Amino acid sequence: MTAIYKRELRSYFTGGIGYVYCAVFALVMNIVYCMNSIGYYQSGFLYIFNIMLIAMILLIPVMTMRIWSEEKKQKTDQLLLTAPVTTMQIVLGKFWAAMTVFIISLALTLVYPLLAYLYGTPEPAITIGNYVAIILAAGAYIAISQFMSSLTESQIVSALLSMLTLSMFFFLNLIFTNTDIDFISKIASFLSIITRYVNFYRGIFSFSDVVYFISLTAVFLFFTSRVIEKRRWS
Amino acid sequence: MIKITNLTKRYGPKEAVRGISFEVKKGEIVGFLGPNGAGKSTTMNVLTGYLSASGGSASIAGFDVLDDAIEARRHIGYLPEQPPLYFDMTVDEYLNFVYELKSAKQPRNRHLDHICELVGLSHVRRRLIRNLSKGYKQRVGIAQALVGDPDVLILDEPTVGLDPNQIVEIRNLIKNLGETRTVILSTHIIPEVAAVCERVIVINDGLIVADDKTENLMHNIGGENKFSAQVDGDPAKIVDVLRGVEGVTDVAYDNGSFILTADEGADIRKNVFYAAAEADLPLLSFAPVDVSLEAVFARLTKKGEEK
Repeated sequence: MTAIYKRELRSYFTGGIGYVYCAVFALVMNIVYCMNSIGYYQSGFLYIFNIMLIAMILLIPVMTMRIWSEEKKQKTDQLLLTAPVTTMQIVLGKFWAAMTVFIISLALTLVYPLLAYLYGTPEPAITIGNYVAIILAAGAYIAISQFMSSLTESQIVSALLSMLTLSMFFFLNLIFTNTDIDFISKIASFLSIITRYVNFYRGIFSFSDVVYFISLTAVFLFFTSRVIEKRRWS
Repeated sequence: MIKITNLTKRYGPKEAVRGISFEVKKGEIVGFLGPNGAGKSTTMNVLTGYLSASGGSASIAGFDVLDDAIEARRHIGYLPEQPPLYFDMTVDEYLNFVYELKSAKQPRNRHLDHICELVGLSHVRRRLIRNLSKGYKQRVGIAQALVGDPDVLILDEPTVGLDPNQIVEIRNLIKNLGETRTVILSTHIIPEVAAVCERVIVINDGLIVADDKTENLMHNIGGENKFSAQVDGDPAKIVDVLRGVEGVTDVAYDNGSFILTADEGADIRKNVFYAAAEADLPLLSFAPVDVSLEAVFARLTKKGEEK
């Protein structure tokens, strides 16, 4: 797994996608931060996590769209799938590499809490909680996007499918919030990323929400390994 | 070392491999010969675990490629039809990656140095794979298969894209490797099989049509006993004389030499010599005609089609 992790992480930066991703991520966050905190004298910075959650719907699929489609196109999957490693190890290697790139980009946003601590006294638990939550959410986003990449050889299709699925998960709650059928809105709110995230945002650390994100991640990583495994049978 | 039993592979309704069985012993170099689309690559992909069989079984070093996949793959070095290269890496980085991927146990630097020397990559190790010529890319592919010193090498058209000198080099390399390892190489280049392999498996349309030692295939399955002679003198007279020799069934004159067809198993050489001497016709050269592997191949694969 470490061999795949290392190679994958390198390729993010030799191929440039890693730099571009970090740059665009930082750009978007900084624009939002400047507009609110400097333009409108807003003292808090937590709103940045909401924006992040939405920006990631567009950015993470682009970062991960080549994760499997490129292997298939260059036939390098023949090397990976005939090496003495399990499919799950390959999937995990790729997952952690993408997570690492995300965490690097996330580290660039540490400047906002830093500024807040210099000039004020924000609640550290809420800051930490939000960072933990955003990493958990990113895990789910990456797992879903990796799954979409395993489905198709086309990078564009993979990116669009991921964006669609991520928005579905994200907005599920809003779409069904006014429905009269009680259990549908309950399911929607149960599955929705927003409902789960709101608790973290408020500084409530709920175990079930952590489990939600980790399960979502695990389920899609498992699906990915199944899809790759199934190719052998095609 | 390698055992395939009744292997089939279907792609949708199309059967690419239709129940083939063979065994390869340790230290054998086997040529897998067949026209394009015969099922060579499919068979190799099943052997290496890249694809799963639709029926039958395959095992490497006693490990089933499905049930003991990881163990089986530990014994295999595989060069697919298109070498699986990451173009954004240098040769060195790539080989190090493969070394780690295979969790090889050999001392890393010595092992990789040795491989690079074997396949002639030492002077391009720092270059990006993207910028290498096709021949060098192919060599990197072969090097990759050798990492970890696997005892079974499965090479899918290993000399494609190489220039004639490199082809000779790589063939010699494969021969040397085959002294201590089991090698299966697929090809549709017939001289390659004749040059490298001790044994040939001819596959056509998903079925094995021949499986024999290379020289046996050339002699026996040829089925005919032919000789070629050059004789000084009047062709018409010579044909007459040769026709009269005991055991000769037919004589054809072709571009300065006479092709004699003899009864199966008959050795007509002495008879021809004395007959020619008696008729005062100097025999300039005389040799049995080896049926070329090409002819055997054409015949075998055609037979397959007629079925």
